[in-house]
Amino acid sequence: MSKLTILSGTDLSKKYGDLEVVKGVSLAVNEGEFVCLVGKSGCGKTTLLSLLSGLEKPTQGRVNLDGREITTSSEDELALFRRDNVGFIFQSFNLIPTLSAWENVALPLFPIKMTSEERRRRATELLEKMELGHRMDHLPSALSGGEKQRVAIARALVNHPKIIFADEPIGNLDSGTGEAIMGILNRLHKEEGVAILMVTHEDELAKTANRLIRMKDGEIMS
Amino acid sequence: MNLRYMTKELYYQKRRTVMSILGLSIGIALLIILNSLSLAYRQAAHVPLKEIGADITVQRSGDVPKDLAGAVFPCSAVTIRKEEVEKIQKLPGVRGIGTGLLLWVFDPNRAWIVLGIEKENSIGPSLLRSSLTEGRFLEDGKPEALVEQAYARQFGVRLNDTISVADKKFPVVGFVDASRAAKIAVANVYLPLKEAEDLAASSKELQSVSPYAPGDVNLLFIKADQEKITGLASEMKGILGNKATVATPDSFLKLLGSLFALSDKFTLAASLIAIIVAVLIAFKTMAGNIAERAREIGVLKAVGWTNRNVVSQLMSESVIQCFMAGILGLLIALVASFGLSFMKVNIPIPWEMSPTPHFLPGGGDQIFKTLRLPVHVPWNLAFFAIVLSVIIGGMTGGLLGRHISKIKPSEVLRHE
Repeated sequence: MSKLTILSGTDLSKKYGDLEVVKGVSLAVNEGEFVCLVGKSGCGKTTLLSLLSGLEKPTQGRVNLDGREITTSSEDELALFRRDNVGFIFQSFNLIPTLSAWENVALPLFPIKMTSEERRRRATELLEKMELGHRMDHLPSALSGGEKQRVAIARALVNHPKIIFADEPIGNLDSGTGEAIMGILNRLHKEEGVAILMVTHEDELAKTANRLIRMKDGEIMS
Repeated sequence: MNLRYMTKELYYQKRRTVMSILGLSIGIALLIILNSLSLAYRQAAHVPLKEIGADITVQRSGDVPKDLAGAVFPCSAVTIRKEEVEKIQKLPGVRGIGTGLLLWVFDPNRAWIVLGIEKENSIGPSLLRSSLTEGRFLEDGKPEALVEQAYARQFGVRLNDTISVADKKFPVVGFVDASRAAKIAVANVYLPLKEAEDLAASSKELQSVSPYAPGDVNLLFIKADQEKITGLASEMKGILGNKATVATPDSFLKLLGSLFALSDKFTLAASLIAIIVAVLIAFKTMAGNIAERAREIGVLKAVGWTNRNVVSQLMSESVIQCFMAGILGLLIALVASFGLSFMKVNIPIPWEMSPTPHFLPGGGDQIFKTLRLPVHVPWNLAFFAIVLSVIIGGMTGGLLGRHISKIKPSEVLRHE
């Protein structure tokens, strides 16, 4: 049975002044697919990820995410759409330093009307899956790099997204911890059926993905 | 707005929180202290008149007696006619009038300052009833006298002695401690008003300078509606002519000479400066705090917070910080007010209102009413300051929140 396309970008371009960072790129990601976007630093892969996830608007082209054209949406519409459909994992974790592990996981739920107990329950569930049940009430400053990234993964999953955008998720981790994080992402993709679009500059990491897309100078090479 | 996020942010970012609260609290404390001080001076200016139960005192200056013999009027307090008193009584805003008749009596071997007083009136020198230290107060229809305690001690006057004032005998029925009373309407001897009227009416010297008929007086003590005092003062001058001396709390305030006492405008300007300083401190501190959190705001927006979510979160944090700053400012102001309330203030009594002849020993000295400055923070000022703090918090948080919420998450998150 062929899978449905969850994400598609058509003829996407992004210019900053005269500098064209992404040049007429088209790509698609299917439901439950693990796609790796590989390229050297400055090739435009993070910008492309931002365009596809709705964090940034393209200068030209369209993005369709889960059947919805997002390039014409307002900022607040995009925010709500991201909250309900998309998860993010960043290279430097981007946890809120004043919130505990479980509160960071529940951060996307804060603006939603629900009880604190319900938020905690959902965060606890995910942190236990990440084997961080014992670190629930710890602040990010008390966590190791690998633990921080696992908290960030749990945060990306808290709204049951259909797709996760991961930007160099192990770029700040040592090799052992990085492998563990990649193991978690692979498990998510296989067991939960979550689509993942991961940006990395390491070819080695990309081998675990279903599909590899190479970028160079703002264009897709293969 | 998420309460948990807000409290944790304020708790864990102690430096930011403390700086914001301290900065604004200084501005708020300044505002409260300035206004309390101004209010205290205003209240102090009421004291000399309040002590004799009046809001306004009226007298009229006239000619100096040619010969200082027998009963005369001080040149600062000559006849106010009965009809003039009645006209004043009918002025809208006048709630009551007390009268007095101040005489200087020059007997061959002694000079007296004599004040004829009403026996029962809550306005004017009959309030001396509460300053009685020995004996009893004056009774109806009896020619008797009260003597000022210090004067009696100095001249050996004892209770039940008979004193002779302008050839008329008065038994001493009591002593009063005038030092407890106001510096206004102080005399050596207090007589029933009727007796003083008789002394004035029968004095040729007095009549030659300022014609007098029983029922006339030379001192008026007026209780009036507070908001009408200034208007009444000028109306009274209209009735009594340009020689009238009308004393009001405002005239005492001017004599105090303090910047706070000089004008409402000074307090208003100083308060505005304090508010502007408070707003600028709050704005600058919070702008710095929010700028430090640009990346955090980017994360919030990336994970699905709308601009409105971000603004309300930042606004609530700002409101709480400013509310706490308001409370702290109020506490600082309360402590400062307590300290300032030990300050003494000397209110000069104008020479026209001084009963002592200037040619007698000490008569030319400036008289002061000395009192502790009644500095306190009124509840409505405290409430205003807290509400103002919250408004500053709301405005600052709202404006800065709106500004920072416009950042694009990709702009702050891309620079890894």
